[in-house]
Amino acid sequence: MNLQMIGCSHRDATLGIRQQLAFNAQRAREALAAWQSQFPHIELALISTCNRVELYAAATSEDDAPTADELRGALLDFRQIPRQDIEGQLVALTGWDVVRHLYRVAASLDSMVVGEPQILSQVKQAYQRAQEIGCAGPLLHELFQSALRTAKRVAGETSLHKHRVSLPSVAIADLAACVFETFDDKHVLVIGAGETADETLRYLRDAGQAQIHVVNRSDKRGQELAHKWSGTYHPWEQLWDQLVLADLAISTTSADERIVSANDFGQLVAPGRHQRPLFILDLAVPRDFEPRVGDSLGVYLYSLDDLDRACEQNRKARTAQVPSAERIVDQETGRFLAEINRRATAPVISGLREGFERPKAAELNRLFRRLPDLDATAKREIEQFADRLVNKMLHPPLESLRDAAKNGTPHGLLDAIKRLFHLED
Amino acid sequence: MENLKPMDLGVNMLCFTASYAIALVLEFLSLWAHLRWRRLALLAATSAGLVAHTWFLGQRVALTPRAPLATHQDWYLLAAWLLALIYLAAKLYYPKSSMGLFLLPAVLGLIAGAQAASNTQLATFQGPRLWGRVHGMFLMLGTVAVLLGFLAGLMYLIQSYRLKHKRATGTALRLPSLEWLERVNSRALAAATLLVGGGFFTGVMSRLVQSNQEPFIPWTDPVVMSLSAMLIWLVVAEVFRLIYPPARRGRKVAYQTVAAFAFLVFVLAVILLQDSLHLTRAVTEIMP
Repeated sequence: MNLQMIGCSHRDATLGIRQQLAFNAQRAREALAAWQSQFPHIELALISTCNRVELYAAATSEDDAPTADELRGALLDFRQIPRQDIEGQLVALTGWDVVRHLYRVAASLDSMVVGEPQILSQVKQAYQRAQEIGCAGPLLHELFQSALRTAKRVAGETSLHKHRVSLPSVAIADLAACVFETFDDKHVLVIGAGETADETLRYLRDAGQAQIHVVNRSDKRGQELAHKWSGTYHPWEQLWDQLVLADLAISTTSADERIVSANDFGQLVAPGRHQRPLFILDLAVPRDFEPRVGDSLGVYLYSLDDLDRACEQNRKARTAQVPSAERIVDQETGRFLAEINRRATAPVISGLREGFERPKAAELNRLFRRLPDLDATAKREIEQFADRLVNKMLHPPLESLRDAAKNGTPHGLLDAIKRLFHLED
Repeated sequence: MENLKPMDLGVNMLCFTASYAIALVLEFLSLWAHLRWRRLALLAATSAGLVAHTWFLGQRVALTPRAPLATHQDWYLLAAWLLALIYLAAKLYYPKSSMGLFLLPAVLGLIAGAQAASNTQLATFQGPRLWGRVHGMFLMLGTVAVLLGFLAGLMYLIQSYRLKHKRATGTALRLPSLEWLERVNSRALAAATLLVGGGFFTGVMSRLVQSNQEPFIPWTDPVVMSLSAMLIWLVVAEVFRLIYPPARRGRKVAYQTVAAFAFLVFVLAVILLQDSLHLTRAVTEIMP
């Protein structure tokens, strides 16, 4: 089995190069179809995400496999990128390095944000696309299925994916979820209509159908945001009333001065709330809420710094899981290698056995014909003797073959055995 | 006097105590290590404990028709069984939470209480035995409700503290949301008020319907006094909650249940150390 990978990732290539090389789903299909005609005897799959573009090729034998240069050329020519532009930014891997690399990619160990969950589905989609076009055969099937299995093992046996690292996801899924059981019936107040508010609301919508209320100084932008998330817009003057009603407040204004002081909160908001829990995400720089607001009963105030610290904790927790995940990748790579080698040596082993069994059976037949008076017990003894003899003669070459197969397909030894024992392919 | 010996039965207390203890150890282990088989082992240990526990109580019922509330020991064991069942249900509903760190010690505490409690047949009062049974059942359920409310309150206070001090993430201790804990807390307090009230009322009724002697309520008995104090506290807390909205929220409810638990501990201590009401005199007078 010959495996190759040509591509680039966030590790070696600049964003500009990655963007030039990137394929959308349609272009990926077209490229695979073109490459299939160019290399009819190999299997191909293309992974293209924001952070990587990788072309995988698998061939049954070395003779069928294209060279790394040919693959590189195919990739660059399709995107019409001059080779000199990408000098040193494309990586070429062969053999077991490809297996290990794909396992690491699928398990999100090679991602820019280690442990991010999207890559697994992107790898799955890449394989499905290759399958649909007819580029993927049994070799890539084996490779990609084992990669997906490895990724699932990593997800199940480590907590690599369990720690969120983006600010909105930590804010909503880790922290707000500690306060609220469900977001479905919650009154969410968004103060300001910036990009951060929009991004946070996206996570919030995934978590439940909260009632969204927007308060903003500019009516137009506030109304747009409210409309986008099927919420209600309120003029700026209603800020205090809305704070009284809110369960979750997300503040993202670009105001130069503090909007809610502890004094105002104590006088205008707290009395109407009756200590009902209020979770405040102050995502503004500078802060919109005075930190002392968080001292009020039932108020949980989180600023950007607090969220950053929580993200950092999660990042550290993910990093701590990397060695365990790498161990799983190593185990699975070893398993894949052993399986492929077993398959490569299996025909030779069975040929060798057959090569001994055939003369054994013929000689036994000849012997039994010449000694017709032998009783059943004697015949059985002779047969067992012949079996033991064949097994003992086969043991040293088979053992050597198995030992050699542990470190890769032992092509030299296989050829030698074939020639020594006149085994046909 | 009938003296029951549970240790003579095929399944003894050690069986289910050990199972619950293993489950507790697994809960603690999950704070430090990510064990793939932990949840399965935890459910298996708790289920095994519950099966042994149920079998044990079933044997008790087979041995004496008045069980499982025939002795103080039974009473504790039944409360522990109910709490263990609640834990198992909670674990299935919230598989990732660390609630076991709170519920399982309470279960083991009740079993320890059973070990310390009298194994002598409790006196049913001289009136119809139904009153005595309902009285025991109400108070047992009331105890579980107070315990549950207390544990939810404790978790609420810890979770609230962690959120206030920005320590809710980055640790393996996972607690339910404040909203859920507040709901459980509040409902447990309301249920405890009704159940303890019901227990108190049926206790009084069972005294009043005694046929062979002058009806008499021993108001000055330590057990009656401590239970009355607990009931008064629960009723006052409920009324307070009805008329003062902030008392229905978060920390205040949690504090109320913590106080109710303090009363409960006091009542149980009095029953363990000085229960003249349910044991000696009654037994000699009542046993048919």
